[in-house]
Amino acid sequence: MNLAQSGGIGTGGATRQVRVVLVDDHAIFRSGLRADLDPSVQVVGEAATVEQAIAVIARERPDVVLLDVHLPGGLGGGGREVIAGSASLLSSTRFLALSVSDAAEDVVAVIRAGARGYVTKTISGAEITDAVYRVAGGDAVFSPRLAGFVLDAFGTAPADIADDELDRLSARELEVMRLIARGYSYKEVAKELFISIKTVETHVSAVLRKLQLSSRHELTKWAAERRLL
Amino acid sequence: MTTAPVRPPLVRRSDRFIAGVCSGLAAHLGLPVNTVRVGMVLASFAGGAGVVFYAWLWIMVPTAYESARRQAGRPASPIAPAVSREPVHAGNPGLPAGSPPAAGSGAVVPGVSGAGMGAADAAAGSSVGAPDGPAAAVPPPLFRFRDMRYGKEILLGVGLLLVAGILCAQLLGVDVPLGTLIPAAAVLGGASIAWMQLDETRRAGLVDMTKANQTGGWARLAAGLALVVAGVLVMVSGSGSWEQTWLALLASVAVLGGVVLVLLPWGLRFWRDLEAERAGRIRETERAEIAAHLHDSVLQTLALIQRRAANEHDVVRLARAQERELRGWLFEDPGKDSGQLSDRIKAVAAEVEDLLGNVVEVVSVGDTAVMEGHEALIQASREAMLNASRHGAGPVSVYLEVSGERAEVFIKDRGPGFDLQDVPEDRMGVRESIIGRMKRHGGTAKIISSNEGTEVRLGFPAAQADSTEGRP
Repeated sequence: MNLAQSGGIGTGGATRQVRVVLVDDHAIFRSGLRADLDPSVQVVGEAATVEQAIAVIARERPDVVLLDVHLPGGLGGGGREVIAGSASLLSSTRFLALSVSDAAEDVVAVIRAGARGYVTKTISGAEITDAVYRVAGGDAVFSPRLAGFVLDAFGTAPADIADDELDRLSARELEVMRLIARGYSYKEVAKELFISIKTVETHVSAVLRKLQLSSRHELTKWAAERRLL
Repeated sequence: MTTAPVRPPLVRRSDRFIAGVCSGLAAHLGLPVNTVRVGMVLASFAGGAGVVFYAWLWIMVPTAYESARRQAGRPASPIAPAVSREPVHAGNPGLPAGSPPAAGSGAVVPGVSGAGMGAADAAAGSSVGAPDGPAAAVPPPLFRFRDMRYGKEILLGVGLLLVAGILCAQLLGVDVPLGTLIPAAAVLGGASIAWMQLDETRRAGLVDMTKANQTGGWARLAAGLALVVAGVLVMVSGSGSWEQTWLALLASVAVLGGVVLVLLPWGLRFWRDLEAERAGRIRETERAEIAAHLHDSVLQTLALIQRRAANEHDVVRLARAQERELRGWLFEDPGKDSGQLSDRIKAVAAEVEDLLGNVVEVVSVGDTAVMEGHEALIQASREAMLNASRHGAGPVSVYLEVSGERAEVFIKDRGPGFDLQDVPEDRMGVRESIIGRMKRHGGTAKIISSNEGTEVRLGFPAAQADSTEGRP
């Protein structure tokens, strides 16, 4: 759909192929995903447990890891633990979290561990290919639900000047998050706000950074209410 | 009413002047509230008896909310009975398994939102039998607890009567040996306070023991101990010199210390075993609940899917309905109030999804209780979702945002779009059910459509009294 057109080969700057590792404990899901992904995406490895995943990622050094949030093995931390175990590669390898879970704690935990985005497993093949290219290009991928969580956690009032800049979203970032939550693609967001797609991506990356780094009390409170901490 | 022995439980209610005692009492006794209130005021002039009685009830009678909380016990438990009713629907091959209660009929408590069990429902359900409520899981202790509570009051009454009798006797000139009676009463009282816990801790062991319960127990134990020790001391010191008393005290403390030292490891191990067993039992209950749920709804749906494998539309619909139900069961916060605006919007989305088989994805930020005018917003959203599902392609995105003053709903699809001007006058869908309805209730509706899709934007100011139109 529009998503695939807007992102894809264009934004990723990808004359090269994107190398991907699939991490999921269900073989059926892995093979389905492999078939769904665009042929330009090269799957270089698969893993079903935390230990396997860390080993495969260290060996293959892929561009993108498609990572299930819930994984057996390790200390029980699932996808979060895989990211922590591959921390030294975070500058070259990007993680895109995949899950069937809608629980806020899963989403936020894996993003705060360092994932560059979060999509649900019901997403179509074209959309996931687009998301892979986006993440490979250094951008963040926000599903409508993740945008909703962000708005819920940070509040919908724009930042005051007095606030720590990590603690609130700017008016523009709020607008972008709202549109994404409403189901807009990046291209549609850009059109709606009269800005370029690149600017939209910058805003989304800024929000991702805030989500990962913010220690604001409201985020903590929000997380505690949902039993995250 | 008079023949039925079943009375509503004595709880303090929310319609109140001071603490809701009178209205609760009135509901319990089946008398008009005002009669009880006037009676209470009149009684206050009789030496303040009314005031004392009021204060007594204020302290002793729980509020409806507290009572509901107490009866509801662990938040997870109401799910199992609610879910086990599911087969009635799931067994009917004409209906998708998980869907029926979500349809927003309001008649049946949906399996999942029942977890939150609104305070009002729970209060009603928790009255005397509550056969299918959480009480069913642990019936005997609950009833014992009730007996126990009355027992406590009877005990207290007997004590007060005794005191009154002694005072009367003294007034009449009979010589009462207060010097021995008071310490003896103290010992008795302390012992009974401590012993009364026994039954309650057993009850608490079956349900789970909250912190508040525990601190209360410790306070009572300490009070009982203090009373007994003081009573014994006074009794003993009355018969001998202070020096002897001190010696005896020292000796007994030493003996007690020795006994504690010897028994401590044994006691600790016993305690740890007990804790482990209790945790195991809780886990077991949870596992049983999950198993019941999986059996009742998930397996039923899987069976249905196998039978209807030829019909792709039905399979998708069944899978989606089951997914929705399972998600609600797994991820919904049981502490959250049900019946909020977001719940209603989600229920409507589920209904549309079931009706047309197209995925409707709801994202909500913030929430509010459903106010009168919100009904129009919900119905307009429903209409917009139906349109988007019917004419749009692919999933429908619904976004609800409630922030302070406003509630907004956005419904977006990726269909071919349409021009409002082209819609014939007699088509009521868009013009009447969405735009007209919102305007009549003081809200706004805007439709933006292009060849890449359509978005319906509905806005509604909060705290808006609505009187022009009931439910459509």
